[in-house]
Amino acid sequence: MNRCSRQISSYWLQFRTVLRNEYRTIFTDAGVVLVVILAIFIYSTLYSLGYGTEVLRNVPIGVIDQSKTPASRQLIETFSAGPNTVVAYEPSSMEEAKRLFFDREIYGIVYIPSDYEQKLLGGQMATVSLYMDASYFLMYRQVFQEVVTGINATGAMVEFQRLIAKGANIPQAMATTQPIIYQGHNLFNPYLGYGTFVMPAIIIVIIQQTLLIGLGMIGGTWREFNLYGKLIPPGRKCMSTLPVMAGKTFAYISVYAVTLTYIFGLHYKLFHLPANGDTGTIIALLIPYLLACINLGIAISTVCRYREQSIMLLLWTSIPILMLSGASLPREAIPDWLYAFGQIFPSSHGVQGFIRVQSMGANLEEVMPEVRNLWILTLIYGGMAAIGIRYRLRKAGAKM
Amino acid sequence: MPNFFSDTFAVLKREIRRIFRQPMYWTLTVFLPLAAFSFFAILLSKGVSRDIPVAVVDQDQTSLSRKVVQMIDATPTARVAFGAQSMEEAERLIREGKVMGIVQIPPFFEKNILSNRQTHIETYLSGTNITVNGLLTKDLQTAVMTFSSGIQLQLLTKQGLTEKQAMAQLMPVRFDKHVLFNPYINYAYYLSPSFMPMMLLIFTIMATIFAIGVELKRGSAKEWLDTANGSIFAAFVGKILPITLVMFLTSELMFLIIFKVVGVPLNGSLTVLTISNLLFILSYQSIGTLIIALLSNLRLALSIGGGYSVLAFSFSGLTFPIMAMSEPMQWFSNIFPFTFYTDIIIDQALRGAPVIYSFHDMGVLCLFIILPLLWLPRLRTVCSEKKYWGRL
Repeated sequence: MNRCSRQISSYWLQFRTVLRNEYRTIFTDAGVVLVVILAIFIYSTLYSLGYGTEVLRNVPIGVIDQSKTPASRQLIETFSAGPNTVVAYEPSSMEEAKRLFFDREIYGIVYIPSDYEQKLLGGQMATVSLYMDASYFLMYRQVFQEVVTGINATGAMVEFQRLIAKGANIPQAMATTQPIIYQGHNLFNPYLGYGTFVMPAIIIVIIQQTLLIGLGMIGGTWREFNLYGKLIPPGRKCMSTLPVMAGKTFAYISVYAVTLTYIFGLHYKLFHLPANGDTGTIIALLIPYLLACINLGIAISTVCRYREQSIMLLLWTSIPILMLSGASLPREAIPDWLYAFGQIFPSSHGVQGFIRVQSMGANLEEVMPEVRNLWILTLIYGGMAAIGIRYRLRKAGAKM
Repeated sequence: MPNFFSDTFAVLKREIRRIFRQPMYWTLTVFLPLAAFSFFAILLSKGVSRDIPVAVVDQDQTSLSRKVVQMIDATPTARVAFGAQSMEEAERLIREGKVMGIVQIPPFFEKNILSNRQTHIETYLSGTNITVNGLLTKDLQTAVMTFSSGIQLQLLTKQGLTEKQAMAQLMPVRFDKHVLFNPYINYAYYLSPSFMPMMLLIFTIMATIFAIGVELKRGSAKEWLDTANGSIFAAFVGKILPITLVMFLTSELMFLIIFKVVGVPLNGSLTVLTISNLLFILSYQSIGTLIIALLSNLRLALSIGGGYSVLAFSFSGLTFPIMAMSEPMQWFSNIFPFTFYTDIIIDQALRGAPVIYSFHDMGVLCLFIILPLLWLPRLRTVCSEKKYWGRL
């Protein structure tokens, strides 16, 4: 009993030492403050500002009108009528259109042939040529969608008029023109905003990356200053694994509790990001997510010899890890084995879980697989971290 | 001038010795870049999304409604993964992440069609991934339209029209689509020439800051400057040149991967692209030097340089066009050499624009090389005064 309580008080002492030391190292090092505390504010604000407009409107296109008839004018007007494109130029030749295109004045070309009206009036099929540029995906989509909508609407109108002219009644003509109406609805992101799409994933990845890099930096500091040895309480040979890990974990959890309260509380509101999850579910997902990231960070930090190593070696992984989460690049576009490999990162489960909770309003039960996987990762990385820390502590203890 | 060359050469010799002693250089300039390029080559090897799961709520359950479901399943993008009994069940499948969209076929679907009354099909697609949403929208719309045209065709031929007349009747205006420059609308073609240079710039800026910063951290900056006989320019050139050279070779390997392995079309001038690579690397080296000279703290400089380098992607306009950003953000996008470099890549690799269109962007890259060098005197101060050394 006595031994047990001595053990507890020693653990408690070590925990407090590590915690105090961890706070001091975080807050007295500008490089770490920048990564662990400021980065999440700076990035989420800058990205949100960049994507703040959400949608691409009024993409300029060029129309080469060889027909120059009322019918062709009518068609051209439909291209400017929608929100996505605007007919900015009417070049007289393909050569001129090409020049405008290379000058980045226009992002698509529509060619209306000279026999356009003639064919329409003669009951034949008129052909319009579209020259689209797919070097920018979003531009391509906006232009294609708007132009095709314009052409189809015009076509339907002509067909409808022809039927009426033949003596059909209106409902009949409508049913023949368009037997089935395609009615598309977009859930969770009605205007298909870009920020609403990528920001939730980016924020989750930033949390993981700043934790890994930040913990790695501090791990390097521990090695450089031999804190594994210096923090040994008097009368002991070396520190114990458990209080060191608990101290570190508590330090980061408390720091991120503050920053994430801002992110999920204020930032989401400020930039109108979807926040449909209830607080309990968010926390139930956030706790294993942070723990998994911190444990992975501690494990990595035990191999960092210098403070600057972690940022140099880990920074580049941010984009690959975001891609592996399947939130930006569709997961169906990623080779299956690579996607499966990506599951070793907490972010892959975190991103999927958070998007479903925050954007779709899923409840805890619906994201249970993600929560469970995050706890499994917490255990695995916790084990690795414990082995790493124990090794460092033993080594430092032997040196003393 | 001869002095300059001999000074630079002396620094170069010292630098090469250092490089062979410090594995971090090789890690940053060769191993990690190649690992990153390979990663993206594999990541984008599929290039397109196929068989995205959707749920179908078929409230009609007739042969026509089943035909529609079959046609949706047959599209390249969509795969009918679940037949849900109700909308509630289907919505739950979305929230569980099992499907990305719902197709709802209303009751009396077949009956309405057979009695020549207008009917409808509703789709509910998740907007949480707008890429997926766009692909599904396109394919589902096409499937429904094809089905619809089939019915129209039957109706019209029943009225005694020939098939050709009927086609002209139901589609008075048709379009033929030419997709320029990325005809297969392949992700790999547009993402690999942007992701890989992104990796290149991150490693360039890290390696440069590290090379200079480590002299300050370890207090060997004076020795470095002395090797150059006190000429900061010679010290600078000798310092960054080996990294420039190795990075440049790495960037050529990157092109090899982009154009030969991934198979991105190369429609423009390879010369312009190669020169741009060099300018691109130099511009980030210049900026890296400026950052470490101003901060004189290796770790802070790495954090700031790293932050700056990663931001470049979002503001390059590749994924979310600069045109769509607010005015201050459009202005902000100009502080990254990457923004101009990607214009060159798009023009010269994908679009095959005449060379002259890239001169402007190359000029801007040159500015990014020259302007930061105005702070070289600051680097001299930092290197000669002890108080700047050994900082955290």
